[in-house]
Amino acid sequence: MSKVSELHHTGLIGSQPEPDEAAVQAKIRHTEEGFATVWLITPATIWLVLFLVVPLVSIVIFSFWENTPQGLSPAFSLEFYGEYFYTKGFFDPEADRFLLPSVFIRTLGSTLYFTLVTMLLCLIVGYPIAYFLAMQVQAFKWQLALFLLCMVPFWTSYLIRAVAWLPMLGRRGLINQALLGMGIVDKPVSFLFYSEFGYTMALVQIYVVLSIGPIFFSLAKIDKDIIEAATDMGATPFQIFREIIGPMSLPGVAIGMIFIFVMITGEFATAVVVYGGKTSTAGTVILNYYGIANYPFAAVNALMLMLAMVIGIIVILRIVDIRKEL
Amino acid sequence: MTVKNGSNKSSGALSNISRRKFMGTAASVAAAGTITGFPNIVQAADPIRTIGLGVSIINEIQAKAAKDVGFPIRGQALGYGALFGKTLNQNDQYEVSECYFDMFDVMIPSKVFQPIDTKRIKDWDKVSNLTKTGMLTPGSQVGQGDAPVRQIWVDENGARTKGPSRYISALPGWHNADSLGYNPDDTGRPIESWAELFSSDFKGRVALLNVPQIGAMDAAMGVEALGLIKFGDKGNMTRKEIDFLVDFLTKKKKEGHFRAFWETFGQSVNLMVSGEVALQSMWSPAVTAVNAEGVPCIYASPKEGMRGWHGAISISAKATGKKLDQAYEYLNWWLDGWAGAFVARQGYYMSTPANTKKHLPADEWDFWYEGKPAAKELPDPFGSPLVAKGVVRDGGSYEQRFKKIAVWNSIMSENDYLVKRWTEFLTA
Repeated sequence: MSKVSELHHTGLIGSQPEPDEAAVQAKIRHTEEGFATVWLITPATIWLVLFLVVPLVSIVIFSFWENTPQGLSPAFSLEFYGEYFYTKGFFDPEADRFLLPSVFIRTLGSTLYFTLVTMLLCLIVGYPIAYFLAMQVQAFKWQLALFLLCMVPFWTSYLIRAVAWLPMLGRRGLINQALLGMGIVDKPVSFLFYSEFGYTMALVQIYVVLSIGPIFFSLAKIDKDIIEAATDMGATPFQIFREIIGPMSLPGVAIGMIFIFVMITGEFATAVVVYGGKTSTAGTVILNYYGIANYPFAAVNALMLMLAMVIGIIVILRIVDIRKEL
Repeated sequence: MTVKNGSNKSSGALSNISRRKFMGTAASVAAAGTITGFPNIVQAADPIRTIGLGVSIINEIQAKAAKDVGFPIRGQALGYGALFGKTLNQNDQYEVSECYFDMFDVMIPSKVFQPIDTKRIKDWDKVSNLTKTGMLTPGSQVGQGDAPVRQIWVDENGARTKGPSRYISALPGWHNADSLGYNPDDTGRPIESWAELFSSDFKGRVALLNVPQIGAMDAAMGVEALGLIKFGDKGNMTRKEIDFLVDFLTKKKKEGHFRAFWETFGQSVNLMVSGEVALQSMWSPAVTAVNAEGVPCIYASPKEGMRGWHGAISISAKATGKKLDQAYEYLNWWLDGWAGAFVARQGYYMSTPANTKKHLPADEWDFWYEGKPAAKELPDPFGSPLVAKGVVRDGGSYEQRFKKIAVWNSIMSENDYLVKRWTEFLTA
């Protein structure tokens, strides 16, 4: 047992003991032997190859096929990639759509816009909650209890959470009843629901937990002694946040943002239920083309969405080097 | 059913019955556990596979069919998109596809089905003229688009024929006609034209069906009724017509005319029950579901006519030998009357009304087919009370409803273009 592990633990995770030098060496030796490692990763590899790599490769292959009136036909066609990017009048000075990207790129753009807004709001809402849980709540059992409380919405189905906004924000919803009752408005306001406002709010409510969790874990790992030391040296709370807490919680922020980014760019259900289908998302476009059995074009859309996701994740990881920070 | 899942088309009675269906399923599972002996006979026979929407793939229906024909029937309920894709691309995965005549501009040339020999259909002479001549009663309007009569007749090789033939592309099944649903308290006046869909009186209180193929036709009915354009064929619009329609809709959307676009049966019911919309394109059983919640809702009979759709029971080209015989048996069973009575209680009509009548008590026949007030409380297909005494079915009798079909559900030649422009409309 290392001496470090006798250090006081605060919070859910607390300060981590330094790994025992001998154990690390043993682990390295074990890895070099290779045998156990192969068996450990085999199930995951088989699983991922069967259910991730194979479907993914099929999507790539499908995206080059042709969609004839007789159904799908294997080919190497770039037709649907052209369709994705090309729009009539693009870069044609005579046309009124000069420099207007194709509807599919615009849809992807609006999907990313809603995603970024939601990420920002989730950060603004989620960070203080995580901070409160990790820094202000001292007793471990309360931390756990409050953290579980944050998870309560996940106990019901996703769809129910989305639908439940209607009795709250709808024309005959609670808020409208209240506004009418207080005489603030004389007829129900409709901007609350089936609107950009309602849509963004629902997304934030549904996904904010994904930012609270990782940020909370990052914050809980910060050694309280460091903060105490800074205070003793005369640092102001703002300085402490800027120099210590902020930077040390960045990995949690980055992981939370990646979760939310990936979830919302692929999202289509909330747009239908809460926004009343009044916008297209990259996900609904894929569904629409799946619906008319134009699988190659659905595949092209899916690949472009995935490409956007990969770029987004790379950008987030560029800003925060998770490996270095963890 | 997931949120969108290929968006149920104009017939998803599934959502409102899903709870009862679940109960029914649970009951039948329980029953299957208790009845021993009998299933041995059933299990000895080879099953056939059938696919369709939740409208016709319901445990009770396939279970009753299996009992009557003596072999198991494995039904798979899919969303509209999945049904379309599987029917077209995987005809080795089913013997029977319970699909729809609007799919046949794709299915006939691709030869995924085999022609059905009417000589092997026992009750073929009892199938109504709605699909044979296009007119349920003499003098009816056939309607634009993929009317069943334009899709049904083929030769022994499955190629289209000009007129009646011994062979058909698919056996006519359940069908209905859809229009607008409205809350009379909110509209303040009866709705008698599709043009009302765009009336500025209802700005911000209108919803439209968000399945491009069908939603565009509903919108086209409205635009045409306003006198803005005359479509050559609303069931097969040209690019120019699609552009005109989508530009008009986009303008209306930017004005804030639409409250929402719905995709599933349940959403349309919610929109009306919660008072979010006053008027929307709607399916007939959804109106019944809104009324069941105690909210007033009327199913309009627009003077321009309704939008029809028609189920088509087809046999895969890959079905041969014994499987083919079984498929025919299953098709014959559908026409026999029991299934007709079952779907009648969901608000749908069957192609053999005379047989349906034999299986429906007089009160129910009068309500569902004759448009008469319910003489007593009437049940849904699962036996729960559905229609209160004295209620009259909106839209009149079966004959009245199908006298004037303006357009049938269709897949247009410019379908891809339509879906693209529809995406632009929603993104705008």
